[in-house]
Amino acid sequence: MSAHTVLFELGTEELPAGEYESMAKILANAVESGLEQQGLAMGEVRMFATARRLSVLIDNVQERADDTEQEVLGPPVAAARADDGSWTPAAIGFAKKQGMSPDELQIIGTEKGDRLGIRKITEGVLCADVLPEVVTQAVNSIPVSKRMRWGRERHEFLRPVQWLVLLYGAEVIEVSLFGLTSDRVSRGHRFHGHSFVAIPNANVYEATLREQFVIASVDERKTLIKNQISRLVSQDERVIVDENLLSEVTGLVEWPVALRGSFDKSFLSVPRQALISSMREHQKYFHIESPDGDLVPSFITISNIESTRPESVVYGNEKVIRPRLADAAFFFDTDKETTLASKALRLERVLFQRDLGTLAQKQARISDVAQLLSEQLGADKATIQAAGGLIKADLVSDMVGEFPELQGIAGRHYALHDGESEAIANAIEQHYWPKFSGDRLPDSPEAAALALADRLDTLIGIFGIGQVPTGSKDPFALRRASLAVIRILLAFAPSASLEMILTTAKQSFPSDVLDEGVVDTVKAYLLDRLPAHYEDQGVSVDILRSVTAVGTESVGDIDCRGLAVAQFAGSDAANALAAANKRVANILTKVDEALPAIDQGLLSEPAEVALHRALTESQAALDAAVANNDYPKALSNLAKLREPVDAFFDNVLVNADDASVRLNRLGLLKELRGQFLKVADLAVLAR
Amino acid sequence: MGSLTFQELILELQSFWGENGCVILQPLDLEVGAGTFHPATFLKALGPENWNSAYVQPSRRPQDGRYGDNPNRLQHYYQFQVVMKPSPADFQERYLDSLRRLGLDPLEHDVRFVEDNWESPTLGAWGLGWEVWLNGMEVSQFTYFQQAGGLECLPVTGEITYGIERLAMYLQDVDSVYDLVWSKTPTGTITYGDVFHQNEVEMSTFNFQQADVDHLFAYFEFCEKEAERLVSLELPLPAYEFVMKASHTFNLLDARHAISVTERQRYILRVRTLARLTAQGYVASRAKVGFPLADKDLAEAALKALAEESAT
Repeated sequence: MSAHTVLFELGTEELPAGEYESMAKILANAVESGLEQQGLAMGEVRMFATARRLSVLIDNVQERADDTEQEVLGPPVAAARADDGSWTPAAIGFAKKQGMSPDELQIIGTEKGDRLGIRKITEGVLCADVLPEVVTQAVNSIPVSKRMRWGRERHEFLRPVQWLVLLYGAEVIEVSLFGLTSDRVSRGHRFHGHSFVAIPNANVYEATLREQFVIASVDERKTLIKNQISRLVSQDERVIVDENLLSEVTGLVEWPVALRGSFDKSFLSVPRQALISSMREHQKYFHIESPDGDLVPSFITISNIESTRPESVVYGNEKVIRPRLADAAFFFDTDKETTLASKALRLERVLFQRDLGTLAQKQARISDVAQLLSEQLGADKATIQAAGGLIKADLVSDMVGEFPELQGIAGRHYALHDGESEAIANAIEQHYWPKFSGDRLPDSPEAAALALADRLDTLIGIFGIGQVPTGSKDPFALRRASLAVIRILLAFAPSASLEMILTTAKQSFPSDVLDEGVVDTVKAYLLDRLPAHYEDQGVSVDILRSVTAVGTESVGDIDCRGLAVAQFAGSDAANALAAANKRVANILTKVDEALPAIDQGLLSEPAEVALHRALTESQAALDAAVANNDYPKALSNLAKLREPVDAFFDNVLVNADDASVRLNRLGLLKELRGQFLKVADLAVLAR
Repeated sequence: MGSLTFQELILELQSFWGENGCVILQPLDLEVGAGTFHPATFLKALGPENWNSAYVQPSRRPQDGRYGDNPNRLQHYYQFQVVMKPSPADFQERYLDSLRRLGLDPLEHDVRFVEDNWESPTLGAWGLGWEVWLNGMEVSQFTYFQQAGGLECLPVTGEITYGIERLAMYLQDVDSVYDLVWSKTPTGTITYGDVFHQNEVEMSTFNFQQADVDHLFAYFEFCEKEAERLVSLELPLPAYEFVMKASHTFNLLDARHAISVTERQRYILRVRTLARLTAQGYVASRAKVGFPLADKDLAEAALKALAEESAT
């Protein structure tokens, strides 16, 4: 049976650089699984994408899917014929339903004996027949972040759709989408290529586009750009190729050509982050560093053409960046004319949130709370106090007004300029850390205390006025703040009481502003974020539930127990003990009576005597391990209970006729359960 | 290269888009912040009627004044505005041809369409599109209108806004807007500075220091009432003039720092409410005459939809 290459290309006006690649991936996957569902075998699946096209190319797609055989079973042979050899009504009825006479039925052997039946052959579909529907469904499955219409029709996509190519080998397969009908006509590079380009055969797609100055493969363009960049810098210079920026510029070109431009080195006196921001955020330039990590007054831009005069492109780009850098330099100089302390006074006029007051008030609360928590974090109170009055001051600077991402960084520069200590400058900069999930934590306990207090203030404040984040809406980034709180506490104050910390934060607000129950609400919210924190560490939601079910005093304690249970979980012993715990928990919830202390005299069955002995022996070792927070050891101790527990359930009837024996046995189970609950509620982990 | 003077650039764009079927209009004689406010864009984008037009629009942004000291910032500058409704399939190609007409060869200069979505909170309008980069410099804004005055746009208006000072600065290779050659005359060269520098100095002084705040607050209230009154009298066009006046008055108050951050939102909302009212009034008035400039099928569909809406 022959096979050919399938090509589908969705041609568009320029798609946003941040989205086109994932859209192409989804398209490719959807076409692949669509063909699979039709029973069509295929070879390699490749995805191509530029701002102007999303494509999928699949090798060796069967022309016709294999036939499939289906058995339809009727009555057992024994019930098919009457004593006289004639067909029974059951056989006749089945045959009639299949549209045939009973004589045409076959005998099919099954595990449960011979049956009457038929074997139906379903013919495999033709690839060419099913492609249009497969492609249509695949296109409809592409998520579109912001839909738009164009022209006079109601079709919707992320940007206007311009053309469709659908080929099976050399054959055009017709599909209609967005008011267009597929053809073999693609388009070349906007300026270097032809407006219209026929693809003679799907398997020459990539090569045909390449002749038209279109590198369709995302990875190939990325590699090209990286290589071109490295050719533009000298041996001792370095370019940090930021992956996000690389992805973005890769999405802005079909024929990448890297060019190097320069700017006046007098701009290097401006904080490097401001220069980098100007280059990266506004112009999508790569910056260059010298061997000692200083900025080089140059940039690399990725253009989309092999210019007839590359110097025109470089000159133009230099002309654009100059006023931007001049702005940054101007802001930096003007900001330095006043001290941070005087800027801090202006925070009184900046609202943080209507019910929660100004930024000046927020800053004061942060400083107070950080000082109150200083001992817990082992931080120097005086440094916190000194930095605390300045941490938000740069928010009213011109620099941060223009480059919001410089908050903290600008403050650091201005603090040093004002003659503040390195420790204070650090605390100002680092109280924003971690800025995002996975970002580094503050270096010093002083910065950590301020960072913690800042997040607590936002969490307690915003929850306290009832602005609970919902689904997609989290304008104050409370999720991120919670994860930061967890990480900072684990690193700097693992054994600090959550209750105490949250209460301290709450008490910094005026008494009538916040909901009474806010400490509990925020605590619950923090605990709900634990799974996100532990996602990469193999600690599942259930494990965290098993741990928080028995105690939520501090994140350090939860951490120790969670990691120990995670290590323990999955072993045979863990599975067995989880099941046993669940069983015990179920039994105990139905008990209304108070359970007396265990009376050894009432223990009669060997298995219950053995369990009691095992529990008694385990008690001391368990208590010692728990006291040392050595939960792995505690769990390995508990694992020894597995056999006596299993034996108990196999051999002992808990609900004995004698009420005192029954209560004694229940007491034994309660003791068992109590030992486990010192570490975690394993019942949660039972399947 | 004998690059275009400022006035030649305008003339080239006008003739180019005129050849492309656009009605060449003259600037609106009211203060507006952008070419989008011109009724030829905002109102014409509403309803099912077709419309192609191009025009220069003086744009006033009181906040952006710098007393004539900044080489790139002006409180009064020009936009060249093109609207085509429905947006043609080759709209981008036409735009690129217009750059070629100005002497910009896209095989020499790097031209890119970079995602940029546009929203006007005061007009209750938004659209998707790009900013167009010329060697990394934003020289135009390209937008497919999705909504205006809170109403869905169908057909979709495609809008191109050229920042013509920027383009001219690039073509003429000058670093200050004031050094742009406006025109070469037998009696000498006239620069942008000759024409507008004094205006920038005086208008910045007015915008930031002299505009009468009490009067402006009162005038805003008046414009708001007037717009509402005129809509109720089924006079959407004069009503819309008062929306534009209210919007500019708000911009002036903003430049005077007379409006607090929280109040600011409220003022924007008030203008948007007026824009919405007027937009509805305008569509109703065009419906009355049967949407004469629309394709038949779209006119009928729109009339039917309006009838159903008023029935419920």
